[in-house]
Amino acid sequence: MRPVSAAETAPTLVPWLVHAQSLRVRAGKHLAVDGLDLALGAGVHGLLGPNGAGKTTLMRALSTGIKPAGGTLTLLGASVDGRADLREVRRGLGYLPQQFGFYPRFTVREFVEYMAWLKEMPKAAIPDAVQRSIDRVGLTAKADAKMKTLSGGMLRRAGIAQAIVNEPLLLLLDEPTVGLDPEQRLDFRDLLRDLGSDSCVLVSTHLVEDVVAACTDVLLLNEGRLLFQGTPDDLIARGGPNDAGDSPAERGYSALLRQHRSNA
Amino acid sequence: MSRIVGIEIRRSAAFGAALLIAVAGAIVLQATSGRWSSGWMALVMVQREYLIVLVPLTMAAGAWQSYREHRANVAELFATVPRPRALQIVPALIATGLAALVAYLVSLAAAVPRIIDTASYLPAAAFAAVAVGVLTLVVAFWLGLGLGRLRPALATAPAVAVIGFAVLAFAPQIFSSGAPAAAFFPGSGMSVFNVYDTVGGRISATQALWLVALAAAAFVLFAVRDHRFAPAALAPLVVGATLTALVMPTGDAFERAKLDPVAQQLVCTKDDGPRVCVSRANESMLREVTPKARHALELLSTTTPIVEAHEDTSTFSPKTAPAPRADTVLMNVQPDKSGHLAFPGRLELQMLTGAFGGPVRCGDSRNYTVGTVAAFFLLGREPATGLDGTEFEDPEAVQLYRDLTALPKGEADARMTAVYRASQQCRDAMAILTGGAR
Repeated sequence: MRPVSAAETAPTLVPWLVHAQSLRVRAGKHLAVDGLDLALGAGVHGLLGPNGAGKTTLMRALSTGIKPAGGTLTLLGASVDGRADLREVRRGLGYLPQQFGFYPRFTVREFVEYMAWLKEMPKAAIPDAVQRSIDRVGLTAKADAKMKTLSGGMLRRAGIAQAIVNEPLLLLLDEPTVGLDPEQRLDFRDLLRDLGSDSCVLVSTHLVEDVVAACTDVLLLNEGRLLFQGTPDDLIARGGPNDAGDSPAERGYSALLRQHRSNA
Repeated sequence: MSRIVGIEIRRSAAFGAALLIAVAGAIVLQATSGRWSSGWMALVMVQREYLIVLVPLTMAAGAWQSYREHRANVAELFATVPRPRALQIVPALIATGLAALVAYLVSLAAAVPRIIDTASYLPAAAFAAVAVGVLTLVVAFWLGLGLGRLRPALATAPAVAVIGFAVLAFAPQIFSSGAPAAAFFPGSGMSVFNVYDTVGGRISATQALWLVALAAAAFVLFAVRDHRFAPAALAPLVVGATLTALVMPTGDAFERAKLDPVAQQLVCTKDDGPRVCVSRANESMLREVTPKARHALELLSTTTPIVEAHEDTSTFSPKTAPAPRADTVLMNVQPDKSGHLAFPGRLELQMLTGAFGGPVRCGDSRNYTVGTVAAFFLLGREPATGLDGTEFEDPEAVQLYRDLTALPKGEADARMTAVYRASQQCRDAMAILTGGAR
């Protein structure tokens, strides 16, 4: 049980929590996202795509870490461009980067608390929020262990804990299941379903099975453009018995890519 | 915020750096206790002088802290949080600032037991000098953070230490006057020449002004997310340097500000015996000096009008001297390494030699041999070399002493009185001593 603020219970007034039109984003000199149209509401959205498809660059743009090079991007109802004040938008964001940086001498609790402070959470709400987020990722027993003593999977969970500490309306997780063992991945899927019930969760991953199991929506990105958006069942339906893959979802994934490449 | 600052202090390099700086500061002070045993002001000034060692060390600690932050690879994550970078760095600035403050004060506190029993005069300028010293170390830490952020590499910390030391050691030499060197390098110009030395309030204020400008530059360097904006740090430096140059005391004003007239004021015995006075800075030695000084006054009373003994508070830079008084002999009162009277066995000899050798204002007319002969005559023993005698063999003085003591007492005393009068008038007293003239 925790007190819930009025802001948290207020109905969402924007039609899309993420809305991109003709979005272009550079990764260095390379245009990694090129004319992307995207609209995401509440739910868990799995972002799939081959290496170099622009997934991480898109995640960085949605996290407000890099500015779009063109097009329009609206996050949580607010326009995100070079001149916008991003402070309010960022208060509603949670982000786990692909390369999760942390202070090795901090304990898990200290690091998550530090992130809560950086996210400008109310001082009084921080201790409970920190404990809750650590509990949700299953790190309760390691809360007072130093970050540098954690295994790869535990570090990833600590990264998720810091991302969800402010109960974000838009949660961006870039490769969150790297290093997790099978049991932890099952727990993580449960956590995703829980988180996606009232916020927009975008999960970038190479693991098609995770997407099918936990996501309400699948996005397939290739060469900086959106190739497919639909439900997991839609993805599965795209595959045939002759397509590459060990599962129906993987066959759907490879079928979409093969079809796109043959049309190009 | 306080919890975050606490986390920063526990987990960052601040605590280790504070320990390192405090130990280094304590070692250099303890190893040179003879330089500051004379009192509180000397202690705080010598500590300021050793900023030449502590500042490069502290800057290196700051650069190392920034390198650790760089290695932690948190930049991408921290770039997406709502708290602006300028506010994100506040806990780190507070933690490192506190570390520098504590380190400076701990190394100072470690020196206190050595002089707490002997040092008495504690002017407000001492607190100002410590405050500027603390501020210097805080700004050094922040500059290190800024430079480390500008060049986040393993070699930055040692490079900052070496370059910092070279700048502090050699850059003050480029100024022909001591004023700008002291204003821009707060460790410069802190050498203690006598117990009346101080750091004037205007000098401390000027140093603080320049340090604030440096702190602003360090903040800009540490706060900018994009290195292309780092040159913005030059703006506070230019403004600060201009204001400092306009405000700093120069010429005579600068020289006068280095001397504390209150420290020179005399503090005298209040009992019924002959009056003995020492400077306020040396007040703790009055009890030690008084019996020796009164013995010398007793010896002088037979042949001179002298009835009081005052500490010689003359200084060379700026040039000051106590007003000449016919009834007063001057004493050279110097503290030793433990803050007590240095060479106590020499005090009487020095007073007597000074009385008959002539005052300082006589310059080359002063005759040390005459003073030595007269002094040993009053002491009733032959001039000797060694700790309580002359510092070199003086066969001429020995012969003159023997000639003087061979005279009838009345004649000898008359010559002594005449020698005293002549020496006070800067006349040649040798001829009088040998009986050639009166």
